Amino acid sequence: MRLAEVTRGDTVAHRLLIRVLSRVAGYRLPDAARVAFYDKAFAGPALGRWTQQAMRGESGWTVAERELMAAMVASWNSCPFCVGAHRAIAVHGIDPEIADAVLADYRTAPISERLRAALAFIERLTTDPRAVGAADAQAAMAAGLSRQDIEDAAAVASVFAVITRNANALDFDIPSAAEFDRAAGMLLRRGYS
Amino acid sequence: MEFRHADHAEALRTRVLESGVIDSALRNGAMRAGAGEDAALPEPYAALTRTIGEHSYRVTDAQVAAVRGAAGTDRAAFEVIMSASIGAGLRRWDAAIAALEEADDASR
Repeated sequence: MRLAEVTRGDTVAHRLLIRVLSRVAGYRLPDAARVAFYDKAFAGPALGRWTQQAMRGESGWTVAERELMAAMVASWNSCPFCVGAHRAIAVHGIDPEIADAVLADYRTAPISERLRAALAFIERLTTDPRAVGAADAQAAMAAGLSRQDIEDAAAVASVFAVITRNANALDFDIPSAAEFDRAAGMLLRRGYS
Repeated sequence: MEFRHADHAEALRTRVLESGVIDSALRNGAMRAGAGEDAALPEPYAALTRTIGEHSYRVTDAQVAAVRGAAGTDRAAFEVIMSASIGAGLRRWDAAIAALEEADDASR
């Protein structure tokens, strides 16, 4: 990861915590967790609280559906760390073959029309926010989404617009598939904030 | 009462504008550049924040090293990166809410 102090921790307590968590887990603590520990006086905790609500708060979308949305945002933003991390969580609630079909092409994957419409909305939001307008919201509503469903999907897309950019700009190390799986269990138990 | 997404978005915007170790004009400029606005930032900040906003996978070691050198510390460089990324995220949240409001207006 770029920026050595983010990698090793900015306080004695955080440096110790990073070492202990890596030892207990049996693998290098992922860079996403190191970023979450860093510069706590700035915007990170506020981002963590919004991410927790977007990903684990009350919603018409399941946790797995929201994790799959996050993986898709990561795919559109060419962020391999976040694709791996959030696919690994999504498959705890969605068949891995379906998750991979969505990642390959959500338009043809065997998913509900409701989820497909949410993905279409957040794809445009992710790739071309200037082009998003009433017609996009109306198309999602025509597929059965409520205003709250659209807001909840947009919140996932918004927080992962931030997280994927941090991951790419800081050049997060990519864990192995087995390490992603183990980290997924921790994120399911502990959440994001 | 539970925070709504809009409350979280505003809390995040406020943290960028009102906290951090770097100059507030630089934080605000980085956030605007990440959102795709013309923030008139000097180099090397302009190149890095624009790249983060448009295609973050193209950020280079040299861009980050140049900002680290100009800003003086890892913490300052981190805040530039985080501010630009947050600008891109809030740009998308604002676009989604504007689209929903337009759709509401059209249905009246």
